[in-house]
Amino acid sequence: MPLLSVENLTYTYGRGTPFEKTAVSDVSFSVEPGEIVGLIGHTGSGKSTLVQHLNGLLRPQRGRVLLDGKDIWQNEKRIRDVRFRVGLVFQYPEYQLFEDTVEQDIAFGPKNCGLPPDEVRARVAAAAEAVGLPEKLLKKSPFDLSGGEKRRAAIAGIMAMQPACLVLDEPTAGLDPAGRDQVLSLLTRYRDTTGAAVLIVSHSMEDMAKLAEKLLVMHNGSLALSGTTAEVFAQADALVEMGLDVPQITAVFLELRRAGLPLPTVYTVDAAVDALLAYRAKGGDPA
Amino acid sequence: MIRDVTFGQFFPGHSVVHRFDPRAKLLLCLLLMIFLFLAGNFWSLLLLGAGALTLMLCSGVPLRLYLRNIKTILPLLLFTALINLFSSPGGTVLLQWWIFRFTTDGLRRAVFLSLRILFLIFYSAILTYSTTPNDLTDAIERVLRPLRFIGLGGAVHTMAMMMTIALRFIPTLMEETEKILNAQKARGADLESGNLLRRIRAMMPILIPLLISAVRRAYDLAEAMECRCYHGGEGRTRMKQMHFSRGDFVGTALVLLLCAGVLVLNFFC
Repeated sequence: MPLLSVENLTYTYGRGTPFEKTAVSDVSFSVEPGEIVGLIGHTGSGKSTLVQHLNGLLRPQRGRVLLDGKDIWQNEKRIRDVRFRVGLVFQYPEYQLFEDTVEQDIAFGPKNCGLPPDEVRARVAAAAEAVGLPEKLLKKSPFDLSGGEKRRAAIAGIMAMQPACLVLDEPTAGLDPAGRDQVLSLLTRYRDTTGAAVLIVSHSMEDMAKLAEKLLVMHNGSLALSGTTAEVFAQADALVEMGLDVPQITAVFLELRRAGLPLPTVYTVDAAVDALLAYRAKGGDPA
Repeated sequence: MIRDVTFGQFFPGHSVVHRFDPRAKLLLCLLLMIFLFLAGNFWSLLLLGAGALTLMLCSGVPLRLYLRNIKTILPLLLFTALINLFSSPGGTVLLQWWIFRFTTDGLRRAVFLSLRILFLIFYSAILTYSTTPNDLTDAIERVLRPLRFIGLGGAVHTMAMMMTIALRFIPTLMEETEKILNAQKARGADLESGNLLRRIRAMMPILIPLLISAVRRAYDLAEAMECRCYHGGEGRTRMKQMHFSRGDFVGTALVLLLCAGVLVLNFFC
């Protein structure tokens, strides 16, 4: 049974006003435990609206969201419990920090879960370690941290709730390359240690190529493409038509194929190296 | 949802009323409201009512939106009507009960004053539905320009600029509030249960980030304005010039004619 599945979800903003706009229309997909799924699409393609349905911040106007096979809106009063199982990290989550110390801020989520103080402390420590925040930072004010540290502190605030599905909206936006790599690797680590599913909304094809196992592509509010990362990047033309890029290495390989070389579709540099070496071993032209 | 609340009353459109010069629209609306108080009998009042109805129909804004405004002033309307209904001694007595006396005079006054308030609301709604808040601020600035002769020119510009900036940032801050609200809800923030004190405390996770971001935005904006050499209203030109077109003349003339009609009806009926 999939952990999370979305069935025929439709959502329109400002229904019945002159500003009416359909943000998500008839989207269906599912996420299995332990999967890293990338959700890509243009600005305004409905990604952010879609993810806000996953933890019940928005209620589907048509369609359903199922968690462990049960409609999350089945019991309206228990919707808060859904938010602890599906942790949503918003874009620029550092703007939601508010407590006196980093430690207290990370504890906000677990405390709301109603956990005993010991358990909260243990979870804060574990989450801080998982995102690589040293202990001496925990006593500091969150406003004294650097940009990358703030971002990781905010992500730790969600991880401390130990969600079975972690959803992140553009987790690397506005970070320097070192900060990006840190954030991306801690997401993989979270999946590896907890077996949770991770869904990442992103613009960066390079990041998704490195990280995601499955990709969902949104275009104008509907799900245009979906499948394994290789399957989706193989349809480079369709992606380009939607105004999206493919990873640079995939673009190079597509050109080479067009030039007549018998090469497979790749989306990471490592795979590209392997493919080229294999091609050479078979006696191909090394140029 | 916060996003669903449209700020102010502006209703987008391209009707004659929308395109009318904002300065003239502001002044003429004020003039018409003054004339509502000058109207001395039912005929002149109804003439102004007909004027309001014509403008409402021309504005292309659905009539039910105008009618919705009545709901907010209904208590005031009823209160005025009741006070007048029972406090006018003259005329034929229709009904007497204890100290209350219900007379034809009272009825007449109650209806008259209610209509006056109603039309007042309609005229101000016509102005706010058909003019963007920014145009309205610009118009206020232009209309108050003569204040510069008594040394208040700078103050007028500053106030207008502050209003424009505030209006500009209301949607931004609303959006921001919604984002922070959602982010804290995603962490299980409980805003609905508990007593008043608990609810106020539950607002802190939203208010603190919001305040911080508002201050940050203010600094950013101030810096951006200084980088572009903003130094107040002195010698500042406008990107959007207001032109008083022929249509505006015709409209103004029609409204003035209406006002003259009120005076005539006042006098002869």
